[in-house]
Amino acid sequence: MIVCVAVIGQQNNPLFLQSFTQEDDDLKLHHIVHCSLDVIDERVNNPKRSGIAVNEAFLGLLYPTESYKVYGYLTNTKVKFILITADPEVRDADARNFFRKFHVAYVDAVSNPFHVPGKKITSTSFSRKLRSIVDNLGSITTV
Amino acid sequence: MQNAELFTLTYGAIVRQLLTDLEDVDEVNKQLDQMGYNIGIRLIDEFLAKSNVSRCVNFKETAEVIAKVGFKMFLGITATVTNWDVDGSSCSLVLEDNPLVDFVELPDMCQGLYYCNVLSGVIRGALEMVSMKTEVTWVRDMLRGDDAYELRLKLLKQVPEEYPYKDDE
Amino acid sequence: MGREVSESCIDALITEMVSSYCNRFYVNKPEVSARRIEAIGYQVGIQLSERYTVERPRFSEHLEAIKFICKEFWSELFKKQIDNLKTNHKGTFVLQDNRFQWLTHMSINASAETTDSSQQEPHSPNSTTLDANLLQATSMHLYFPCGIIRGALSNLGIPCAVSADASNLPACSFVIRIKA
Repeated sequence: MIVCVAVIGQQNNPLFLQSFTQEDDDLKLHHIVHCSLDVIDERVNNPKRSGIAVNEAFLGLLYPTESYKVYGYLTNTKVKFILITADPEVRDADARNFFRKFHVAYVDAVSNPFHVPGKKITSTSFSRKLRSIVDNLGSITTV
Repeated sequence: MQNAELFTLTYGAIVRQLLTDLEDVDEVNKQLDQMGYNIGIRLIDEFLAKSNVSRCVNFKETAEVIAKVGFKMFLGITATVTNWDVDGSSCSLVLEDNPLVDFVELPDMCQGLYYCNVLSGVIRGALEMVSMKTEVTWVRDMLRGDDAYELRLKLLKQVPEEYPYKDDE
Repeated sequence: MGREVSESCIDALITEMVSSYCNRFYVNKPEVSARRIEAIGYQVGIQLSERYTVERPRFSEHLEAIKFICKEFWSELFKKQIDNLKTNHKGTFVLQDNRFQWLTHMSINASAETTDSSQQEPHSPNSTTLDANLLQATSMHLYFPCGIIRGALSNLGIPCAVSADASNLPACSFVIRIKA
């Protein structure tokens, strides 16, 4: 089950965060997202150690917490996507698949002429699209 | 034809820049219409040359040509012509969809904006070049929550055309 | 997305945008018009760079990003690549397009604009004013693609200044100076 998805801007500024659970407060999720940024920096600067192909957008599992797994993705335009899931077993292919769909939705959201680059994403249709991506993915991993 | 993204994004950036520079939604509506008018004047020649449409004599025929041939040639979409009034001098063009509005979500501060106003100007400008003076207004707009885009086309005056080739030697 | 529009739509929109800013909004302030036209391009460049780099590995150096602009980015916009890329290896790149699409109709548009202005102030356009007009209209037009390139590169993490040289129409060169 996906718990939270976040978008972090070029200056490590939060652009978007949506949680899909009532159990955890946003503060805790924000904290997890924040901690993952350092891991991303570390991984991008030392790609060999992490076993991820150089310069690939998908950064893989960043770290596990006691209840969650945190995945990362870094676009060519230096925007970070963070995925927090509560599933004990996540296949990389599923995580990649999620990020790919999410990236397309993100690109459409920032193509809105009224979106200001580097500012928070307020689009309701982006939220809606994300919700449907999350719902779809949920059904794939549980089957 | 080419991918619509550049067109869509350029138009969006123009609208946003106009809102910043003119600081008034009504003025932006007016300028978008004016830009459309100027574009319509330019595009009509290409339209007549490429479409092989013989000059339309009546307004009914003209509206159909705009909806089926004009929109298709330039924007890759078609419109439906409906709601004719009794004397055939005004009708509606209904669009389900249009490439100007892909990705667009209007912020609250510009609820009075007719985002697609360039289109009404284009039609008005183009028709004026074929001697039809019209008034074109928006009736429905999906960006404002309606279920379609609807333009009302009203013929104000039709200047009878003289044969342009009469004086040719 | 498979949506398509005609080339003439894009040409007409850009031409009208440039002419609105130069001849209606900031009539005697060409430098303000230029900044606004560039800003419109800049926003488009940012958005296009997001769209065109999906599914593409990150660039590890400036040259890779510049090559991307010359090849894939230019092809998406103009169905052709940049014809010639030069660099001084000190952060300056010159991209030459031998036949820049947005300038191929330029002479026609410039003469149309001369006719526009003659309505307000009757004068017979002679060849000198036509040439001057052509040059001015061309340089104003070029702020738009310069803005696009600057927006795209900035968004890819490369702050830069971009200028254009169209003294050899229809060829056009874009000069990118990367900020240290």
